[in-house]
Amino acid sequence: MDVYCSNNVLQARRAVEQLRLETELQRIKISAAAEQLVQYCQEHRRADPLLTGIAASSNPFKDKKTCVLL
Amino acid sequence: MGEMEQMKKEAEALKTQIEAARKAVGDTDMASAASGVAPAPRVQLKTRRTLKGHLAKIYAMHWSTDNNLSSLSSIGVFRLMVSASQDGKLLIWDSHSGNKVNAVPLKSSWVMTCAYAPSGNLVASGGLDNMCTVYNLKTPVIKTVKELDAHTGYLSCARFLSDTEILTSSGDTTCALWDLETGKQKTVFLNHVGDCMCLSLSPDMNTFVSGACDSLAKLWDIRDGQCKQTFQGHTSDINAISFYPSANAIITGSDDCTCKMYDLRADQEVISYQDAALNSGVTSLALSMSGRLIFAGYDDFNCNIWDSLKGEKVGVLSGHDNRVSCTGVPEDGMCVCTGSWDSFLKIWN
Repeated sequence: MDVYCSNNVLQARRAVEQLRLETELQRIKISAAAEQLVQYCQEHRRADPLLTGIAASSNPFKDKKTCVLL
Repeated sequence: MGEMEQMKKEAEALKTQIEAARKAVGDTDMASAASGVAPAPRVQLKTRRTLKGHLAKIYAMHWSTDNNLSSLSSIGVFRLMVSASQDGKLLIWDSHSGNKVNAVPLKSSWVMTCAYAPSGNLVASGGLDNMCTVYNLKTPVIKTVKELDAHTGYLSCARFLSDTEILTSSGDTTCALWDLETGKQKTVFLNHVGDCMCLSLSPDMNTFVSGACDSLAKLWDIRDGQCKQTFQGHTSDINAISFYPSANAIITGSDDCTCKMYDLRADQEVISYQDAALNSGVTSLALSMSGRLIFAGYDDFNCNIWDSLKGEKVGVLSGHDNRVSCTGVPEDGMCVCTGSWDSFLKIWN
């Protein structure tokens, strides 16, 4: 068998082994998974500055306007 | 029946089994499950900083962590980040002032990735030289501490686990875990059949996910080296990938112009972020702190903001004059950075 042929066989064997492994996985219902994800988002939303917005006074990137005496 | 024929048959049978198992738990999708959630507000962010300094396309950026904030703030430096450009440099920026803190000249200018170690002591870069080079920022003069040379394809992404371990993904279709003390690969993750383009470490650092040109995303156990799960659905190269902060889902971005969320425990796609008007590939993505917002960079020069639960576009960051190649949200979630082929980095909030 030439190298190309045996590479294909090796790859096919690997693919079958991987598929065998993945068949064993215990899966949960999307509804349950999604509910937990939604809950996570909701619980953390107040601590998400990009979602809630950042007050100018506490925004480290906002240039503070200074008063200039003319 | 020849061995190949037999294996093909078994593979088909197993695939059918897996699809049936996925269907059996596929009782809804994310958008439906989130129908009771209030829509995310329209997100309008302003450019707060435009970081000018690179002389060519920017390919990657990475924020430093919170680890040495207090020691840095006492010398007037706050949130650091590293960027990589094909002008042959890594630049370390203080994002608050917009000043360059350090410049690291690269041996090879064909850089595709850069990374900041959680400690803040090291940075790494890599690209078409097939190597991952690690630099120490804390020595009086920045020194190359290791050249990790074993991949037989380009280095697409690197992420430090610590000052002694780094993960890489490569165009040679493998990912690898390296020991930074010996400079050798500890584990090689072999299962993709296309160039690996991106990787993301789980929050607990026991697993990571990779995206590749075989249009698949894979979940790996870092310690035993095995691929545990494979996620299909994309129809082209996956260029960007990130763990959701809850650690039970991942977000991917692809040349097929969509982003997708895959739930790890349901083992399938649960929502797709797409728009008929969008026909540019996704190059990069980053999540806001709660995971609610996805910032996705596209080839069409924009960064679109998606509501991760409802699948709706809630904003856009426009301002770059070329492809957005990288995006990142720092640990404190206070801003988002976009890097572009126009040679600029912008910070928005």
